[in-house]
This record gives sequence, structure tokens and C-alpha cells, in this order.
Amino acid sequence: MKLRHYETMFLLHPELSSDDRDDAIEKFSSIITHDGGQVVHTDKWPLKKLAYKVQKQTHGYYVVMDFGAKSSTIQELTRNFRLDERVMKFITTKLDDEFNPEEAAKKYAEAEKEGESEAEPSSESSTEGKEEE
Amino acid sequence: MQRPQQRYRRRRIYVRRKICRFCADKSITLDFKDADLLKHFITERGKILPRRVTGTCAKHQRRLTNAVKKARIMALIPFTSGHALKD
Ligand SMILES: [Zn+2]
Repeated sequence: MKLRHYETMFLLHPELSSDDRDDAIEKFSSIITHDGGQVVHTDKWPLKKLAYKVQKQTHGYYVVMDFGAKSSTIQELTRNFRLDERVMKFITTKLDDEFNPEEAAKKYAEAEKEGESEAEPSSESSTEGKEEE
Repeated sequence: MQRPQQRYRRRRIYVRRKICRFCADKSITLDFKDADLLKHFITERGKILPRRVTGTCAKHQRRLTNAVKKARIMALIPFTSGHALKD
């Protein structure tokens, strides 16, 4: 089956340790890779203040994964997000019907060269959240 | 005598058409993860501002609406000020 280009964002519980978060991320990326998919980039945002309370929590860790996968993998991924208590919220968006790993990776390579301009919106908003504390 | 006056008035009524921000600057990508960008297009209460206020074109307003809705789901921006955590 053909790979499509997806982006998934999920929100992890604020009480998780850095290792716990890495474990969760590892679990979801392995679901993708074990099913023939390929993760292009994983962006871990620092602790951020939420716009409204989620499961009585005011903060959380956002993770953004850019990857190529079959549509059936997304069903499996969604099922796991629902069951996993570490995940408070998630959303998967199809970026394109075609997945080109080189093309997808380009954007992150360029961003790194230009001083991480791609990561700007996330790091900006997260510093905002920190200042408020 | 009256004619030029009328023409003048008509010219005064003319409203300057605002330009779509996303058409003007192609480097801005409409990303639901960019809450700071989306905040410019919602009201204090969290409602999406209409096109006639912001000047956004139909195509970009459609994409903006989708981005705002995704950002709300992910708790990046509030659905309504009623449940919002104060800044
Ligand atoms: Zn436009």
C-alpha cells in the first residue's frame, strides 16, 4: 500500500518525566516504522500553558511528528492514542497523498541552516507559557 | 454646478479594500500550530473574525477557519473566553 504524508500532534500529561515522554514518543514512532512507515521529524515542545483545562491540567507537553505511513497505520495509531493515558489530546492531519521522504526532510534541513526558523512558532509560544509561571 | 459635487461625494464613499495577509506575504504558512498567528484573526471571546473585518480572501479564510478549529481542539487557542485560562 502507498505511503501518504501525515503530521500528528499529541499532548502529553504534564506530570510525565522526560524519560516517560521519550518512551511514549518511541512507542508511537515504532508503531509507524513497524508498519512500513517512516518518521521524518519529531519536534518536542517544552512545557506549555494550555488555552483551557484538559483533564484538570493547565499545562502539557506537545509533540509534533512528521511522517509517511499507510492509511491503515493511522487507524492503529489513533487506537493507541485513545488507549494511552499519557496522551491527553491528539490530532492527525494528512499533508499530502504522496510521501517523498527527501522532500519532507528538506524543510527541516533548511530550517536548521537558517537558525531553526521552522521551530520558531513553537519555541516562541512556549517561552510565553514559561514566563507566566 | 451640482454634478461635480455629486461625483466628489461618490468618490468619498469609496472604501479602501484591505489586502489578504496571506496573499500579500507568501512566506506565511497557515499552520494550526502557530497560535500566535491565529490570535490575530479571533476576537477576545475566541470567535473567528469575519473576512470583512480582516480583509482575508475567500481561499485563505477557508484555510484559516480550519486552522482555528484544529488549534481549538488541541487547546492551543480557546473555544470561548468562558473556559479559557487567563494569561
Ligand atoms: Zn489570500
